[in-house]
Amino acid sequence: MIEHLDALSSLADLLGARARSAGTLLIWRTQIRSVHRVLVQAGKTEESSTATSLGHGIQVFTPEGGTAFASRDDFREDEAAVLLDRALEIAASGTRLGLHASPLPDLVPERGREVPPAAAAFERIDLHGVALRLAELEAEIAAQVPGVTLKLSYTADRDAWRIFRSDGTDVLYVMPRCVLRVQATARGREGPHSVGCSLGGPDPGLPWDEISVRRLLQRAESAARLAQKLPDAPPHRAGSFPMVIDYALAKGLAHEAFGHASEADGYRSSILARDGKLRIGEEVGARHVSIVDEPVPGDHAWQPWSANGIRRGRAVIVDHGRLAAGLADPWSAAQGGVAITDAARAESFRNPPLPRMSNIRIEVGEPAAAPGTFESYGPEEVRDLLAAGGVLRRHRRLTFLSGYAGGQVNPATGDFVFQCKAVYELSQDGIVLHRPAIFAGSMFGALRSVREAFGPLRLDALGTCGKWGQNVPSSGGSHYFVVLDPDPTVRLGGA
Amino acid sequence: MRAPRWIDALRSSRPDGIGAAEWSLYATETRRITLQTKDRETGNAHVPLTITDSAGGRYLIVWEDGLVSRGGLERHDLEQGAASAIALARAAAYDDADAAAVLGPAEFAAVELHDGKTARVAAGDVGPLAERWRLVRKTVEGGEFATWSGAIHASAGEALVATSRGLDVSVQTTQVRWHVSIDGEVGAGHSARAFESRDDFSARLERLAGCAALLRKPAGPMVPGVHDLILHPGVVEDLVLATLLHHLDASTIAHGEGHFRREQFGSSGPVLREDLSLRLDPLLPLRSGSYRFTREGLPAKGCVFVDRGRLKTPVAGLKYARRLGIPPTPIPYGSDTLFLEGPEPLREREAQARAEGGALVLSVLGVHTLDLASGDFSLSAPQTLRLGAAGPEGRLRGTISGNLFEILRSDSLHLVRFEGEHTPGLLVRCRLDPE
Repeated sequence: MIEHLDALSSLADLLGARARSAGTLLIWRTQIRSVHRVLVQAGKTEESSTATSLGHGIQVFTPEGGTAFASRDDFREDEAAVLLDRALEIAASGTRLGLHASPLPDLVPERGREVPPAAAAFERIDLHGVALRLAELEAEIAAQVPGVTLKLSYTADRDAWRIFRSDGTDVLYVMPRCVLRVQATARGREGPHSVGCSLGGPDPGLPWDEISVRRLLQRAESAARLAQKLPDAPPHRAGSFPMVIDYALAKGLAHEAFGHASEADGYRSSILARDGKLRIGEEVGARHVSIVDEPVPGDHAWQPWSANGIRRGRAVIVDHGRLAAGLADPWSAAQGGVAITDAARAESFRNPPLPRMSNIRIEVGEPAAAPGTFESYGPEEVRDLLAAGGVLRRHRRLTFLSGYAGGQVNPATGDFVFQCKAVYELSQDGIVLHRPAIFAGSMFGALRSVREAFGPLRLDALGTCGKWGQNVPSSGGSHYFVVLDPDPTVRLGGA
Repeated sequence: MRAPRWIDALRSSRPDGIGAAEWSLYATETRRITLQTKDRETGNAHVPLTITDSAGGRYLIVWEDGLVSRGGLERHDLEQGAASAIALARAAAYDDADAAAVLGPAEFAAVELHDGKTARVAAGDVGPLAERWRLVRKTVEGGEFATWSGAIHASAGEALVATSRGLDVSVQTTQVRWHVSIDGEVGAGHSARAFESRDDFSARLERLAGCAALLRKPAGPMVPGVHDLILHPGVVEDLVLATLLHHLDASTIAHGEGHFRREQFGSSGPVLREDLSLRLDPLLPLRSGSYRFTREGLPAKGCVFVDRGRLKTPVAGLKYARRLGIPPTPIPYGSDTLFLEGPEPLREREAQARAEGGALVLSVLGVHTLDLASGDFSLSAPQTLRLGAAGPEGRLRGTISGNLFEILRSDSLHLVRFEGEHTPGLLVRCRLDPE
């Protein structure tokens, strides 16, 4: 597979020479991606497939700042040359079309290659074996929690890119990802409820990795039991409450509440910017809270180089309560008043890249201990942990939001939402389960309200981030549990 | 466009010594041009003018040993890489008798799906796109809005379905799709197989600007509780229709994951209010959701999914139709050919009068986070207009919550006709918790 990208050097030279003779900068993004997928339900394989996608995207920049993008889903030399000529023509006529001029940044050529060891194993995936293994895991879960409909899926995704620039840049990297997902559905008097869980890793042998499987089975059992209980659970009243959220929800908070608004392509309207520049230095949260974004090797959202062929760097977006950095690329950094960490990512060769998050986390100063694994904490254990930490002396009742089920944000207004899988009311008197409800509010209120955290950092809360029609893998996390004081701008909605 | 290499490769391949007994291929080839604006900057480095050439499709192979392979194909798989794609398909083959369904020749209705002007734009004549964007800029400047963003695409292409049983049908298509949002808050758009008229486009922009202007004014406080709310057609499409279609999907029913059970289809008991219906008509000319054939080669035709509150048929492709023992149905591919119908809809003004003291919900955040299985919803509604005696008064932010099935069974539900919109809005009673 990677050999197909290795074989593109002469075509890259041809296109680069053509672009230079036209006086333009060319960024040529080539990609080959293979995705293997199996879906098993009730012991039966319902889907099993391997799909391969390959192609290239040509983006050219004229000295006047005109740009255009063209893509095609093959590597034919003749078609690539025609495509380049079309892109050059459009870029040159940009002014006539009223297109914005994007000043050419100074770029330093880079060369490099990163192919993680796990990438090789993708050549040997046996989907039939995967299906059998999923059926075994399904049977194990069903034995622990009978009466629940289960759906298990396996996705192994090897995403390889080679980025060339006409300034001599040539970087190749492969991003291997494997995800196991379980969805449990239980039917109550009034209808069904579904709860899901997932686990990821870079190696396609994930279903056979003992430690990972043990963790998945624990999560799946919890999800299945929750699905059984939810149909009879009452809704939680709406309002602002003292809350505790788990690390996956904290990732959602970082991602939705701050991450998107810190992406520099949006500074002309982002609530974190003024006059197009990030409000560096302003206090936006509690002083013991920081938000960091960086690619983490082996992580679901890892990407060592940007889609512009620049090493992706670390961004401390919020540094002890103050805005400190943005997620920028060469075309947004100077305008936005931030450094280039080159956060540019593209879903595929068909898309021009945008500044995006990678692995984003909330770090809280001096977290309290939380012994054991995260999976060993059910609502009772969380209540006891908080009681031992003195939280229940401050608040008689706490609302515990468990399990991240996705979120959304409007970076222009700072309105964000995320959904949890369950809501528990915790107190010394007992624990009451409620149906999930939307957690919504203002990003500033949310970060201000972070009071304390328990446990070490867990950064494997994986998901998919959608922006401007492009989906890319996302991940992140925080300490096991994060406690939030009530804030009037942060609310749990009615359900 | 033809896919002879894939078909020839399949006919001559015998991976593991097993050949294909039957097969079905859906293939498309498309050329698209996209003009985009992000925060007033059109065609900048992040949203450059973009041209895309792509080909792809989906396949089903029933092997001689009864195993099946199903999946997606891209240009390379259809052409030079066909042999290797077929080998990969064989390696992924699995046992699924219900999926081993291949259609033969049929009669396909004629429906207009191609527009010459749109095809010319897709081929590179960007004038009409630029002209529409000038109208957007004029609207934004006229309303003195701070910023706007949007995208407009034109595409042209061809689609075909061919099967081992002799089905061989193709069609040329075009598509225009646009969406604009003002001040990062409220948006509008349209999708069809040809450009809508300049007047319709301008009228849509004017209505959008009107909503955006109203959102600038704060409304007075509102007490949390159950209120009369009007859900904008965009909210109805994203929340109500999406949830209903999830529950009507034959795979959801077959696996017991949805609200509806197999035995409820065709029975006399209503599951929704008895004057509500949901039907598909994919043979309307130049609509985005219109087509001649499904991706499996089923002829397009009208289909009723819910009639007078009663379930008639799930939305069923070949596999799950066979699993449930029902005929396959056409599939909804776009909201403009899906009809949610009931009693005569209220006009907007009339609905606003009825909902005085309530609110008009223009958009919601968080639909994709919901557990669709239960029908429960709890969503942020930061673009909501409070309704007073004279109509919309100003902006509210809040959360709306409830259960969709309760709403669709409720006597207080009314359909609302919104000018220029195909999908109706809904006047409902549900909980609103203002911030």
